[in-house]
Amino acid sequence: MIKWLAVLLGILYSAQMYANENINARQLLKDMSMAVQKRNFDASFVVVKGKGMEPYRWLHGQVEQTDLEILTLLNGAGLEVVRIDDVVTYFEPQTEPYSLSTDVIDGPIPEALLRDIGALDQSYDFVLGGKERIAGRPAQLVRLVAKDETKYNYWLWVDLQSALLLKAAYVNQRAEVLEQLQLTHISVTEKPASQLLDLKEKALPTPVSGIVDVPDVKQQNNWQIGWLPKGFKLLKSDRHKLDLNNELADYFLYSDGLVEVSVFVQRPLTGQRASGALTSGATTVYVHNAGAFDVSVVGKVPVETAKSIAESVKRSL
Amino acid sequence: MTQSKFDVNNEQMTSEILDAERELNSESQAHLNADKFARYSLIGDVMRQKDQSTPCIDITASVAAAIAEEPVYNMTEDAAQQTQQAKENNVVQMSFWRKPLSQVAIAASVALCTVVGVNNFMPQNSIDTQAPVLQSMPLTGSVSPVSLSSEPAMQSAERGVRELQKQRIGALVLEHQRQSRMAHALSQNTKQAEKGNQEEQ
Repeated sequence: MIKWLAVLLGILYSAQMYANENINARQLLKDMSMAVQKRNFDASFVVVKGKGMEPYRWLHGQVEQTDLEILTLLNGAGLEVVRIDDVVTYFEPQTEPYSLSTDVIDGPIPEALLRDIGALDQSYDFVLGGKERIAGRPAQLVRLVAKDETKYNYWLWVDLQSALLLKAAYVNQRAEVLEQLQLTHISVTEKPASQLLDLKEKALPTPVSGIVDVPDVKQQNNWQIGWLPKGFKLLKSDRHKLDLNNELADYFLYSDGLVEVSVFVQRPLTGQRASGALTSGATTVYVHNAGAFDVSVVGKVPVETAKSIAESVKRSL
Repeated sequence: MTQSKFDVNNEQMTSEILDAERELNSESQAHLNADKFARYSLIGDVMRQKDQSTPCIDITASVAAAIAEEPVYNMTEDAAQQTQQAKENNVVQMSFWRKPLSQVAIAASVALCTVVGVNNFMPQNSIDTQAPVLQSMPLTGSVSPVSLSSEPAMQSAERGVRELQKQRIGALVLEHQRQSRMAHALSQNTKQAEKGNQEEQ
C-alpha cells in the first residue's frame, strides 16, 4: 500500500516537474519576444551556413509610440529591411524598394519567435535545456523539438538578464547543427539609436496589398499535393511568373508556424535529368522530375521531407 | 635700382636665415620675406621627402578667384534639379548600397546559393554517406556521367541544361524568400478567418 502511494506520489511529482519545466521554457520565450518588441537595442549577429557566413546588423527602438526596426545584411550588395510599426520595406539590389503591411521583418530569426509563440504549439514541444555562456553572458537553452521527424528542431539560447536572443540553431534529428545564428555584440540602451530617429523622417513606398484578396488566391487547384508534414497549413496558392527568369509557375506556400515551404510546379526542362536535392544551411531545394512537369520544393525542412512533398504532387482530376 | 638691390638683398637674407647662416633677430627679421621663407622651406621639405601631413600650398584663393570668373549656367534649373534629386534620395536611396554594385551582388548571392548547393548535389540514397577524405574527383552525384567518347555538342547541350536548371533554382530560392515575407501576416489572417468562421457557426 505504502509502495503504491510512493509510486503514485512519484508520478505526480514528475508530472508536476514536467509542467513546471514547460511553463518556464514557454515563459522564457514569451519574455524573449517581449524583450525584442520593447527594448531599444543595437545588435550585430552572424548567420553561419556550412562554410558560408552572413553578418547582419539589427536595430530596434521605440520613438514616441512608433516602433522602428532596421535589419541590414552587411556583406555583398546586401539587403536592408526597415519596419515602421506595421509597414515593412525591403531594399534589395536590382529591385525597386517595396513595402508590405505586416508587423514583423522576415529575417534569419523565425517570425513566430519574435511575435506569437502560440503559433508553434501544434508542431513543436518546448523543452528547457542547460545554462551556457554565450557571447560572454549567461544564457538559457530552450529547444523547440519537432513533434515528428519530418521537421528540423530549433534551439535558442536566451540571455538570462535581458531575455534577448543570443544564439539560435537549426538542428536535425541527429542533433547536428545545420545553420546557426550567433550574436556578436548587443547594446541595450535607454534611448533608441540615431539611425532609427532618422528613419522616421523618410518617405517609404506605400505598402502593396498582399492580403486583401486572400480568399481568391486560394482558388488555385490545378494540382493536388498528396502529402505534407503534420502542422503545415496552406497560406496561399496562385500562378505567377518568377521574378528572375520570367518562368511561369503554379505556386503554393505552406507554413507550420516556424518555417515556410514553397512548392512550385513548372514545365519540365528538356533533357534527361534525375531528381535531386541541394542544401545550403538548413534550406533544402528539392527538384523532382515528374515527367510531364517539374515539382520543386524549397524550405527549411529535411531533404527526405522535401522529397516526399515533391513526389506527392499530382494533377487534380 | 635701390629697390631691386634691396629685393636681392632680402632674398639672400631670407635664404641665409633659412640655412641658419644668419641669426634671426629683430634686425634681420625686417629683411625676412615670409612668403619666400615658406616657399624655401617647402622646397627643402619636398627635396628631403619630409612627410607633409598638411598641404602647405594654399591654392584656395586662386581657385576661388578662377571659379568666380567662370560664367554661370542656368543656376535656377540646376538648383531645382538638385532639390529634386535630394527628394528622390530621401525616398529611395536610404541604404548604403548603390545600383552598379548591387547588380553584381544579386547574381553573386543567387550564385552563392546554387554553388554551395551544387557541392551537396548527390543522389538521394547516398545523402547519409560520408564522402571519403581524399577525393580526386569532385562529388558530382546525380549529375549524369558524361563518357569520354561523347561528342562535344552533347556536352555543351548538357551544360546548357545544367545552366538552365541552375538559373531556375536561383529563381526558386529567391521567390521562396520573397513569398515568405508575407507568411506571418497571411497566417495571422487565416487564423482570424478561422476564428470568424467558428463564431459564425
